[in-house]
Amino acid sequence: MGEEQSSTSSAAPKQKKQRQRNRPRNKRNRLQDNEIQSPNESAMQKANSNPNQNGAADKTREQVMAEREAKKQAKLAKKQKTTTPTAVETAAATTKPATTIITEVEQTTITTKLTTTTTTTTKDNVVAAVAAATSTKVAPSSEPPDSNTGEKTRDQIKAEREAKKAAKQAAKTAKTTGNNNVDTVTQKLNNLEVAPSTAAPTDVEKKKPALSKAERRAIQEAQRAAKAQGQTKKPNAAPTADAKATEKKLPSVITTPAAAVKESKRESESPAKSPAKLSPLKTERECKVKLFNHLVRANHDASLFINDARVHPSIARLGVQYAERTIVGSNARCIAFLHALRQVVQDFETPAKKEFGRSLDGAVKYHVEHLNKCRPLAVSVSNAYKQFRNQLTQLPADTPETELKEQLAHFIDTYVENQIGKAAQAISSSMQEKITDGDVLLTFACSSLIQYILEEAKRRKVAFRVIVVDSRPFCEGQEMLRRLHAHGIPCTYVLINAVSYVMPEATKVLLGAHALLANGYVMARAGTAQVALMANCHNVPVLVCCETHKFSERFQTDAIVYNELCDPNQLVMNAKCCLNNWHKSRLTPLNLSYDITPPELVSAVVTEVAILPCTSVPVILRIKPEIGY
Amino acid sequence: MREQPLKEVTQLIHAIKMGLVEGSYSITNKTLDIFKYIIMSKSWQSADALMQIVRAQSRIMQAALPQETVTSNIARRILKLTREEFDLLQAKVQHFADDSQASLSLHKLVTQTSENSVSVDYSIPQQGLREALLDHLQEVETELETSSENISVQAEEHIHSSEIILTLGHSRSVENFLKRAIKKRQFLTIIVAECAPACRGHNLAATLANEKNVEIIAIPDAAIFAMMSRVNKVIIGTHSVLANGGLRAACGAYTVALAAKHYSVPVIVLAPMYKLSPLHLCEQDAFNMVGCAEDVINYDSLPARDAKVYSPKFDYVPPELVTLFISNTGGHAPSYVYRLLTELYHPEDLEL
Repeated sequence: MGEEQSSTSSAAPKQKKQRQRNRPRNKRNRLQDNEIQSPNESAMQKANSNPNQNGAADKTREQVMAEREAKKQAKLAKKQKTTTPTAVETAAATTKPATTIITEVEQTTITTKLTTTTTTTTKDNVVAAVAAATSTKVAPSSEPPDSNTGEKTRDQIKAEREAKKAAKQAAKTAKTTGNNNVDTVTQKLNNLEVAPSTAAPTDVEKKKPALSKAERRAIQEAQRAAKAQGQTKKPNAAPTADAKATEKKLPSVITTPAAAVKESKRESESPAKSPAKLSPLKTERECKVKLFNHLVRANHDASLFINDARVHPSIARLGVQYAERTIVGSNARCIAFLHALRQVVQDFETPAKKEFGRSLDGAVKYHVEHLNKCRPLAVSVSNAYKQFRNQLTQLPADTPETELKEQLAHFIDTYVENQIGKAAQAISSSMQEKITDGDVLLTFACSSLIQYILEEAKRRKVAFRVIVVDSRPFCEGQEMLRRLHAHGIPCTYVLINAVSYVMPEATKVLLGAHALLANGYVMARAGTAQVALMANCHNVPVLVCCETHKFSERFQTDAIVYNELCDPNQLVMNAKCCLNNWHKSRLTPLNLSYDITPPELVSAVVTEVAILPCTSVPVILRIKPEIGY
Repeated sequence: MREQPLKEVTQLIHAIKMGLVEGSYSITNKTLDIFKYIIMSKSWQSADALMQIVRAQSRIMQAALPQETVTSNIARRILKLTREEFDLLQAKVQHFADDSQASLSLHKLVTQTSENSVSVDYSIPQQGLREALLDHLQEVETELETSSENISVQAEEHIHSSEIILTLGHSRSVENFLKRAIKKRQFLTIIVAECAPACRGHNLAATLANEKNVEIIAIPDAAIFAMMSRVNKVIIGTHSVLANGGLRAACGAYTVALAAKHYSVPVIVLAPMYKLSPLHLCEQDAFNMVGCAEDVINYDSLPARDAKVYSPKFDYVPPELVTLFISNTGGHAPSYVYRLLTELYHPEDLEL
């Protein structure tokens, strides 16, 4: 947040100001509180002449910010006046006239604020108006006739106070001319203000809603960049960043002078507060369980961002498949990702005067981010991506591009073959020793690896049967049942509730995994832990089959810190279900993707390296680079 | 000897089988009505004759409805009442009031079976027995009616504000209990596991969502373990409480109890007194029944042709997984259930 204190003003008032400024920020969602406190605050205002708190009930955060910004601009203008008097020649030389000018500015601001509905426009108006003030082109005529006279007068008083205070501060800062930043800032501010000064504030107001989506996005991006720049705590740093960003962006938005101003305006606030982002946040909060507020639900409406020209079609398609869950299971997701990645590599064209490896890295990173937006990346996918990047950095610099591409394609192919294909074979062959005649194997949901192992056992003509445990709402077990049925394996099918009913029959429990965490916990489809728990209780050995490419370096002790939330509507069974209108009530269906099985519930993990206890995961993670790639 | 069922009994059995009468409470109530009718009828002259009739009818019901233990429970209650009233009246006649079974001591518990069975002859016709029984039956009826209320009153003793409570399926006692808790305590979060395939948990969730100041989370059964790490208390209903303190509860209760045990979460079971059955069953095979599998998997799906599909209705929960029973008379530890049983039923009536 850009604070306008200059370094030289005394410390005590600075703190006071800061405290006041912080207050509305804390209260933005508690309008009632604000109303209760407003008499108090108005009393304080008399002493401090700070207008921000008054009438907080009807003022949004943006408005408050806008006022602050106006103050800031005014002050800078004053500073400018002392350092480069030519820029603001026409501005009144003494503080007294300046005050009146600013008062007028504030009036126009506030009146336009009252007449417009969107907060963004008001903000622009503030800046535009301030800009006008610095060029002494305050147009009282632009002030539209206002019906809300009661509010207006209050705001006027406030504005006057505000202006007085700003002027005082400006006078104070004017004395200190030793600041290095000031010159640059003022220059940039001049640049900034050239554009809006041509347009009257009313014009700006009209133009505002006509902003295209693309422009807005550009603005947001600029704003984000500026925010990152403006993180330094130096006084005046924020305005500098603002100005810089504005300069950067000016060519693109030069047609709409308002936009440039808007940028500089918006930059002073954090991106989360921009109105574009507010509305989705709100709707999300409505259907969220408090415990899981920290988890971002994947944007299921992939069409929102799928038409991105920078995304390769194969990745775009994959993104949709991820989002719609046509590709599920960490192996399938990983393979699909690598295939798409190979396409990307093949079609990649190195931009002029750029290095192949680096520019490809950037492009792939963008694509992976896109996929992550569609659905949070599976551990297997992010591991594959990590390996791929590792490979990119090791590319020789003097080899022709086509050869490099071939190398990368070869790497991807071997990764799929070794990490997924051969690993499955290795796991299967070691599992075959464990499956004997008369075995009753219990498995949960659907795992391609388990399916592979069972089919192999069937091929070996082992007489065994399988109990498939399933759970709503995914019902992946039905798919497993279908596949096993196709291979003629006798099956029993129960829901997870009934696992205690079938567990006494089972001789072994085979479970697939989404990932194995570094602390030995198994992350798998929700319900796996329950099956393992029940197996443990009945003294049935639990074997988790997991390739090492799914090993994760993350530590996790519960399923709540990191998880994936799926569509809660999947819990609603049919039109007659009581959960149908859950949106309207206090009821929230929660659809978790994964859970975490503690290592004490798992007898062993079967990997392509060896059959290990869960706790050996860190060992594998450490030796992994040596064992194959 | 083969007894014929009364017309009322056949009607009730039919109604229960057709699902017209549902829930332990209404079944108990209806059974009690039948026994009341029997007592009022003139078909018996002595306590012994009455007990014969009650035994016969309850045996029929038990055979017809093996899963509904409450009918036998209430029959045992009636038998015990008959014995008590008879003893009391006999004692009045013989002027040794202290021998009545109203005051049970451990010593008497141990000794009474041998003494009483010899000494008391129930076949003597007793004046005023019918009236006394009907009076006492009124008490039982009131107890039955208020049992749910009496359980829910205890909600405040067990639930504090901002607690996260997990429950499974839909039990009427639990519903009332939680409603009471929501009224008395703020910021409760109630997690309802749906209990597939019937998904009656959805009903409970929807009902509770009408209350204020509460957050209801409906979860699939697979997420029980994941959520358990945050749960403060598990509150479930049960179908019946077995003699060892174990539960015969809705399918999935075992998983819930095990997960709770894993995370050391207390499991509170709401069980009105009429659900206490003197049955010593230590595994689910003894009483379980499988329901319709159509809900689990569509019959017309290809794999369903060959696969065995089960949809069991009950789960056995061993007593060591239960922390506390809350009945209409207060809280009880699972290890205390046997004592409640001896107070509730006469030792000779355990076998009907």
